[in-house]
Amino acid sequence: MLNLEYMWGLLPVLLRYLPLTLQMATIAMFFALILACLLAVVRVSKVPFLNGFSLLFISFFRGTPLLVQLFLFYYGLPQLISALISITGVTAAVLGLTLHFSAYMAESIRAAIVGIDRSQTEAALSIGMTQSQLMRRIILPQATRVATPTLMNYFIDMIKATSLAFTLGVTELMGATQKEAAGSFLYLEAFLLVALIYWAIVEVLSWGQRRLEIYLNKAYQR
Amino acid sequence: MPLPCKLTTTLAALSLSVASGFFAASAQADTLRVGMSGGYFPFTFVEQDELKGFEVDVMNAVGEITGDEIEFVTASFSGLAGMLESGRIDTIANQITITPEREAKYVFTSPYVYDGAQVVVRAGNDTIESVEDLSGKSVAVNLGSNYEQLLREQPNADEIDIRTYESNIEQDVALGRVEAFVMDRVSATQVIKEKGLPLELAGQPFSTIENALPFRDDEAGREQRDRVDAALSELRENGELREISEKWFNTDITQP
Repeated sequence: MLNLEYMWGLLPVLLRYLPLTLQMATIAMFFALILACLLAVVRVSKVPFLNGFSLLFISFFRGTPLLVQLFLFYYGLPQLISALISITGVTAAVLGLTLHFSAYMAESIRAAIVGIDRSQTEAALSIGMTQSQLMRRIILPQATRVATPTLMNYFIDMIKATSLAFTLGVTELMGATQKEAAGSFLYLEAFLLVALIYWAIVEVLSWGQRRLEIYLNKAYQR
Repeated sequence: MPLPCKLTTTLAALSLSVASGFFAASAQADTLRVGMSGGYFPFTFVEQDELKGFEVDVMNAVGEITGDEIEFVTASFSGLAGMLESGRIDTIANQITITPEREAKYVFTSPYVYDGAQVVVRAGNDTIESVEDLSGKSVAVNLGSNYEQLLREQPNADEIDIRTYESNIEQDVALGRVEAFVMDRVSATQVIKEKGLPLELAGQPFSTIENALPFRDDEAGREQRDRVDAALSELRENGELREISEKWFNTDITQP
């Protein structure tokens, strides 16, 4: 029923595309984290003008599908700005993932910041800390602990979202699977195998997440 | 919150390794970037990471003659037209049928494949024998393909439940989720013969189609078109085009 021999032979072929999938997700996650922190701090501190921009940014990138955003960057915008033709599918995918997920992550970081008890702020200000010292030394370290589980969730989601890059001509894990399935017509085998690969990556990440949470919780252990 | 040093280094290394892929060289004069889906057996498909098929052989043969380096770019079929228009590929080798709408937008080579639109059903389904029988039935076509257009031009178009798919239409008819799909006769025959899916041709092809390579309608595009067109004529004359066709189809699909 299930052609195991085919799956076994396909495994090393598909694994060749795993590095690209992980690279796109990791780089996008790195930049999305930075952007999300900036957006969240701007929102919490209500920085004039920038706050409005953050609101608009988050509204747009949460409000439209990732696939629409990818098509806009890759196929749409070059009609207006011809220099954009030189960006590759990988760049467009990383850019799209970064902007899209930073909007979501900004909201969960903001929630973590707002969730830190007000007494912490008052205590910090009472010993003469500036606003930026308060953020860096008191609020963000605590907020990191709170935000970690949800941010890892977004990272997992992002790894799977890289599968949309094939619509931009980037042959990543999913694109490679689709093409192999088209050649062999063994759909069940090909897609089952790629599902197992994604699952395995996410399991490894979840293990890493548990270790990270134990580390971040050290200060709270009695 | 400072990032752990090790993580930062890893990220920097990763960004560098991908940076090479970030700014790919744009078109050089001697490189022809050919887009295809890689998902259209036996025209373009992948086996064990190797891109194969009729289109691949034809384009490589064209490259031999023109001296161009042929660079294959695979993407979802629905993304290919966008890639051609935004200048990321130079042509599409994916059995692109010449239609008036496409001719208004692109310049085509002369046809290199002559074929017919074919209705395909699940094996044993004898309720459908022709396009007329499709009334009240669900029919799958590929998104962006011209078969949807062809179906809409039929007199009974309003009664056909046309469903557009991104991929895997053969599988969905084999599973019985839709009652038929429309594809070119040549690859439909091939799919049935080689892949053992429970499918059969329903009647005769209902429309003749001519497939060619589209190029952008600008100076560089027309120049490339002329070069490739000349190479195709040469391949036709020296019999190589027929040989490639017989290798994949056991028949010559390159003649009208």
